[in-house]
Amino acid sequence: MTRRVQQVVVVGADAPAWMAAAALLRSVSGAGIRVRVIELPTLLHPADAYSALPELAGFHHRIGLDEDLLFSLCKAVPVAGRRFSNWSGATPPFIHGYDRAPPPAAGLGFTQLWIKGRQRGLRTDFENFSLASVAAKAGRVPAAPKVADLHAAFGYNLDAGAYSALLRHLTMRGGVESTAATIADVEIEGDRVVTVTLDDGERVEADLFVDASGPRAALIGRMPGADLESWRGWLPCDRVLVASARGLKPLPAFSQISAFRHGWTGLFPLQGRTAVIAAYDSRETSDQAVLDDLPALANMSIAGDAVVSDLSQAIRRRAWVGNCVAIGDSAFSLEPLDGAQLHIVHYCISQLMTLFPVEADAFPEAELYDRIIRRLAVNLRDFQVAHYKLNRRFDMPFWDRCRDAPVPETLQRKLDLFAARGRVPLNDDEIFQEQDWESLFIGHGLMPQSYDPRVDAIPEQEHIAQVQARLNDIVGLVEGMAPVDDFIAGVNSEQAADVKALG
Amino acid sequence: MSEPLDIVILGGGTAGWMAATALVSLIPPTRCRVRLVESEEIGIVGVGEATFPEIRNFNDAVGIDEAEMMRATKAAFKLGIQFVDWGFKGSNYIHPFGVHGPVGMDHIFHHRWLRARGLGSKREIQDYSFAALAARDCRFQLPETRSTALESAYTYAYHFDAGLYAVYLRVLAEQRGVVRTEGKVRDVIQDPETGNIRSLLLESGEAISGDLFIDCSGFRSLLLGKTLGVGWEDWSKWLPCDRAVAVPSERDELSPYTRSTAMEAGWRWRIPLQHRTGNGYVFSTGFIDEDEAAASLMRSLETKALAEPRMLKFQAGRRLVNWEKNCVAVGLAGGFLEPLESTSIYLIQVAIMQLVLLLPGKIVDPRLRDEFNRLIDLQYKRIRDFLILHYKLNRRDDAEIWRYAAAMDVPESLTRKIELFRHSAIIERYRDGLFPPTSWLSVFIGQGLIPERYSPLADTMPGDSLVSHLDAFHTDLVDRVEEMRRHDRFIDLYCGAELSAAPSATEMRL
Repeated sequence: MTRRVQQVVVVGADAPAWMAAAALLRSVSGAGIRVRVIELPTLLHPADAYSALPELAGFHHRIGLDEDLLFSLCKAVPVAGRRFSNWSGATPPFIHGYDRAPPPAAGLGFTQLWIKGRQRGLRTDFENFSLASVAAKAGRVPAAPKVADLHAAFGYNLDAGAYSALLRHLTMRGGVESTAATIADVEIEGDRVVTVTLDDGERVEADLFVDASGPRAALIGRMPGADLESWRGWLPCDRVLVASARGLKPLPAFSQISAFRHGWTGLFPLQGRTAVIAAYDSRETSDQAVLDDLPALANMSIAGDAVVSDLSQAIRRRAWVGNCVAIGDSAFSLEPLDGAQLHIVHYCISQLMTLFPVEADAFPEAELYDRIIRRLAVNLRDFQVAHYKLNRRFDMPFWDRCRDAPVPETLQRKLDLFAARGRVPLNDDEIFQEQDWESLFIGHGLMPQSYDPRVDAIPEQEHIAQVQARLNDIVGLVEGMAPVDDFIAGVNSEQAADVKALG
Repeated sequence: MSEPLDIVILGGGTAGWMAATALVSLIPPTRCRVRLVESEEIGIVGVGEATFPEIRNFNDAVGIDEAEMMRATKAAFKLGIQFVDWGFKGSNYIHPFGVHGPVGMDHIFHHRWLRARGLGSKREIQDYSFAALAARDCRFQLPETRSTALESAYTYAYHFDAGLYAVYLRVLAEQRGVVRTEGKVRDVIQDPETGNIRSLLLESGEAISGDLFIDCSGFRSLLLGKTLGVGWEDWSKWLPCDRAVAVPSERDELSPYTRSTAMEAGWRWRIPLQHRTGNGYVFSTGFIDEDEAAASLMRSLETKALAEPRMLKFQAGRRLVNWEKNCVAVGLAGGFLEPLESTSIYLIQVAIMQLVLLLPGKIVDPRLRDEFNRLIDLQYKRIRDFLILHYKLNRRDDAEIWRYAAAMDVPESLTRKIELFRHSAIIERYRDGLFPPTSWLSVFIGQGLIPERYSPLADTMPGDSLVSHLDAFHTDLVDRVEEMRRHDRFIDLYCGAELSAAPSATEMRL
């Protein structure tokens, strides 16, 4: 007779661990499966922020989290995209807006219309046809419950500690048992974790262990076959510095990513403060030099809370071994360049639920999970590599090398087809969709050489009218959106009113 | 503005006229001119009287009126494929064009079904499929377009006379500007340096030159295979059938599904059209000879034969690439997979639509060509694996071909799928290529591969309420199916070959 999974133990800390626990609580505890968290010491520093994509809303919905709490408790700022500046000496900054679908047009994709328009002298930049990008530039939040289908959404900048604490609180309230501990020993037999011994001597057993411990990979790092494959050859930065700066007034509706001589800096606006990140190559510069330069690079004075750590760009050769499943950056880690960190956690958890083991003694689901997570990681890695590859900072050795280096074949295919025809061949398990890749490629200056021949079937007058209509639609929609500060104040006052009404 | 691209299509069967119609309808004359060369002396195979739902996208894209096309091709509707005697003799199931269970629940529904089965429920998985229930009951109605409605849980395709479809498209394509030339190719002239095809020299002496050549010459693969020498990959060790014998018979009950019946050395199709029933026996000469197969087909007919049986030879496989130099193969010139899942016209359609998207200039951009080849290869392999699945999972022990198929090694990608389903009831999804999880599910279960376990996520509801939930869902479906029109009646009203004008589609919805 099959032995079912009875006990799941999540080992980890911070948002990834509590996201996993919350999802398990929602999905499988109703089936009588017990969920416990072994809470390891946090990896967060006070200055840390999570910068998340709009898809996080789907996760919140799934676990029943009231998003208003993010604004009152987690210093959340809604952002409509990321602004990339200084990646080219020649072209102006661009915004990768969080559009949820490609702009609608004639069944061919608006991008194809734009490419032809551009070839014929259209001067309006591509990002002006992105609802999210225009909202971001206007400092407005693409959320309007009154407008049904917005084609754009906002992501979240969150205070990492506060967000983790909120998830922890909600999950514990839901009945998950938790123990704060460090791991003294892990006993492995074959490809199975038998016991995890905690620092107080307790021996923890489970049918399934979920490793949400981040890059320290507390469990998966000890499993056979799960060694690290480095991607540093593709992505050069190996150090990351995090610090705080003052809050911005008014709050912008985007995060800013700026290239500098040896890497990039990021500004992530939060309520009351700004999280500042610098990622760089330690072969090129020192931690101290970056810290010294940071106020000038960020154009803001930096608080004394700066922390530097190693940045690992790597993937585990196996993400699920025996009864141990790694999620998020226990499975693979990349730069915080595109705000996908929490989405990766979410994606891994969703896959784990779909592939939830049907018995406790054999895990054939692992092989599929591994393939899915690797595809996910490769797609995302390629998205990041593209930023480096397409840079146009000439005559700087670091950036020249990035531009001249070969890229993975999977990315080359996307670059080639886009350059040839303005199409993005998507793979399975892509976090970023067509509109994201288009924004990235065109923003960095990769201009398609030809367009879909069907575009020529559209009469010129109609073509112009469609382009104009798109611009007008966007202007109208953005006018109806609230500025970031108003949006936050609105949510918070509504919430205060709710609390009052409850007495 | 540069000169338009001169496109020459060789061959005027289903593939040739579909390609011609799409190119002339979707791309303006400033960008391409289309010529088609065919010979009335060369017969057409007329593959695939049964189609897959994607053909509706093609028809919509090129601007075909459904009812008119159905009248012209004596078409009927198709809600799925019934497989008889495949699991074991006496078994049958329907692979429906639609989900099992409520819309949007296909990741969990079959786990719930498995659990209910363990609790004593006797219903089959297809008792929860709108399309399968309507098909079994010979009923039809156009599906709802609102995505949340229960009636959006299915889609449909057609049974039609492929020869008439080609004729219908020919009229359309010629009206829209395709120039047709009657003639046989005597020689193919290539550029001595690049090897590109320059022109087709006809027996009349006329030379038809072009920038891009579309090879729709069928199995002969005159341009891609013969002229350019693109190699063939043989898949017959997995799909051993190498002949089909076909014969039309008088009209029979107009069931809205294709029937595939496993036979002693292959399988037999039955395709009901408005004016006749298409029949054929796909078999392997390794297990039966041609005469015996033809006799077996004739014996099996349910209505009177309308012609002599016609024999076709083939081999499962495909050209290593379908686009080489300035030549793109569409249809049988690029590959062949037996019509077990009615995919022949689908493969034609995919090649055409990708070609439109990736249409090159006068000099072929290899980046466009490579993407085309990658996608077509993926399509072929995904269909191939799904076809092999039917053979591999048979549990008939009464004939040599079935014992061979059950024992054969299959591609590793397929073995993994089968084993994961057997153990965990999990089906992997993919973005490109045919067959969503619900299709895989119907064949797995239909052929008797019942998973050993199901997901604990299906355990969250108390057992008795799960069973009554499923019962209520099934009853609801049955009620709705009873409200649908009889398929033959629907056809008469909507697109009967005798009708001169059809009612609008909205009138025909439930």
